[in-house]
Amino acid sequence: MPTKQGALTDSDRRNMRVVMDRLIPPVDDLPGAGTMGLLDEIERIASEHDRYRKSLVRFLDALTMDMSVEAEGGFLALSGEQQDEAIREIEESLSKEFANVLEVVYISYYSRPEVHARIGWRTGPLQPLGFTLPPFDESILDTVRKREPFWRQAPD
Amino acid sequence: MPVVTSHEAVDVVVVGSGASGAAATWRLAKSGFKVVCLEQGPWVDHSKHPATKANWEELTRTSWAYHPNIRQGLADYSVNDDASAIKVLMFNAVGGSTIHWTAHVPRFHPSDFRVRTLDGVADDWPITYWDLEPFYDENDVMMGCSGISGDPANPDRSPRQMPPLPLGPDGDRMAKAFDRLGWHWWPSDSHVNSQPYRGRLACNNCGPVGWGCSRMAKASTDVTYLPEAVEFGAEVRAESTVYSVVTGGDGRVTGVNYFDAEGHAQWQPANAVILACNGIGTPRMMLHSASESHPAGLANSSGLVGKNLMFHVYAGASGVFPKNEPAYKGPIANIIMSQQFYETDPARGFVRGYTFQMGRSTGPASTAVGGVPWGAGHHQDFIERFGNMSGLGVIGEDLPLETNRVTLDPDRRDRFGIPAPLVEYRLDENSKRLLAHGVRQARTALLEAGATRVIETAQSVNAGWHLMGTARMGEDPGRSVVDGNCQAHDADNLFVIDGSAFVTGGGVNPTPTIQAVALRAADYICRERSDLKR
Repeated sequence: MPTKQGALTDSDRRNMRVVMDRLIPPVDDLPGAGTMGLLDEIERIASEHDRYRKSLVRFLDALTMDMSVEAEGGFLALSGEQQDEAIREIEESLSKEFANVLEVVYISYYSRPEVHARIGWRTGPLQPLGFTLPPFDESILDTVRKREPFWRQAPD
Repeated sequence: MPVVTSHEAVDVVVVGSGASGAAATWRLAKSGFKVVCLEQGPWVDHSKHPATKANWEELTRTSWAYHPNIRQGLADYSVNDDASAIKVLMFNAVGGSTIHWTAHVPRFHPSDFRVRTLDGVADDWPITYWDLEPFYDENDVMMGCSGISGDPANPDRSPRQMPPLPLGPDGDRMAKAFDRLGWHWWPSDSHVNSQPYRGRLACNNCGPVGWGCSRMAKASTDVTYLPEAVEFGAEVRAESTVYSVVTGGDGRVTGVNYFDAEGHAQWQPANAVILACNGIGTPRMMLHSASESHPAGLANSSGLVGKNLMFHVYAGASGVFPKNEPAYKGPIANIIMSQQFYETDPARGFVRGYTFQMGRSTGPASTAVGGVPWGAGHHQDFIERFGNMSGLGVIGEDLPLETNRVTLDPDRRDRFGIPAPLVEYRLDENSKRLLAHGVRQARTALLEAGATRVIETAQSVNAGWHLMGTARMGEDPGRSVVDGNCQAHDADNLFVIDGSAFVTGGGVNPTPTIQAVALRAADYICRERSDLKR
């Protein structure tokens, strides 16, 4: 169970890595989000932003305090399907906190260059390169320009 | 509040440097008024906006988030919107929320100023569209407008300063769908440069225009109005948090108390005070400035300060399209808009109307956070959505209710001891019907455009960008706080020029109207209130 300050224990980290692999599983030649080694990044973001830190603490608390999970020997001892079920239960009972945990996992995963390479996204800052688009072509207005003004007159 | 330093008196103190405050500061300084503009936030370094960082998507959800309680910047005050159906979004810096806006700048329609006369709801404004028209035009010159005149849904307007921003293949696709449906659409008017303008670069289509612009292609008032205002002699005092507006025994304002960057108490005397702190910050300041001559709060003899809060109600739908040219290139919400359903049609089952504002795809993390499920289906769903989404936001008019309001939180305070605003807000049945209609029509349009899947959002909670109505204008001092020139009924040297002064909210983004109202009020002061100039 994490401390109130949000520092994760070794046990929390093991659990969280597996959770992350369930949230974003392996694909092609990429491992799941937990195996990819994103936990340090998630802890960094959580340490800097209250809502993520508090949500992560509550989520991991819930994961370790679930009696049905404990009865099976803890989260790590569950099958993949059972782990998904345990996560879904928390998603339902702590929807706001779970959304924050999912958000920080997504942010971390989709910030990785190897993930960008797989999905075809140019990694790095958006500026100064930006993107190129053809300039506005006025001919696209041909149809709508045929319409008479239809705004509603109003008295002074 | 024990004052440490007293400053030399000025003609006018403007509180807030955002859309309205900067415009008024500029106009007054240009006319020779001695003006000090106090801003609680700092100057922003545009070279450090999120788009210049590799982790820009993290930043847009943390230190650059729209909600002040998430962002928790030094200049941010906490907002208690726990019980509000819509969360309050704002930015606190020199330039205010224009640092953070998307700069999509449609105008109100003439009918928006006459809703009581035309539709029997709410109240008419004491001014008309035509009263504001020259100030809309003046504002477009200062901010720089990309667009094209000739829109049949609006009165004709002067030539835009620059051609429209590129529509992109996604914008073209949506426009042609509207054409096939016989629905109106038009390229967005945007205060984003499609060409270099007044020393600012053209937009290079990076995307997240709502989180600052390192090229300054997007107009924010710190790079448009304020530099010129300073040249005209205005002083902008950043990191200056106003604590209260002070009044004399005669009920007129005498100046403001504020804290400087080091937390030292300051006194700024002035002949007039202009409040431009947005529709939440302004009533908060007025209620916190109660005095012997204004026991219910500053200029609150009507009891309406803080009441009639209006946001726009938001809903929408996003279409997932077959793979094509990636749709994340270009400013995220400055493409096209449709006002097919803007004016009242009784057959629809609600009064007033809405605008469709098209939005486009964004970066990978934001795409995932936008609703991609976790687990086994994650990657398939993600790849279908990423770069392949277009959205139609429904921006609906929400009519004023006195029960939608801002008061002072009895418990929560900022670091200077000023109570947090407590926001209570609910949607009425008219707004709910309006949004439901909008979502249905958005689905129709997206399917017509070729979407293979449509994801609906029935009502957006994190949508309180537009803050209006909390010190509204009117001719009757019993039913309004300021007159048509934004001058308080209860104190002739106090002005409220931000969205607080709105009577109704229209169905469009309000910033150009806020700025036109502010410029008109400043013009009035310049023409009619020479008594305020020393």
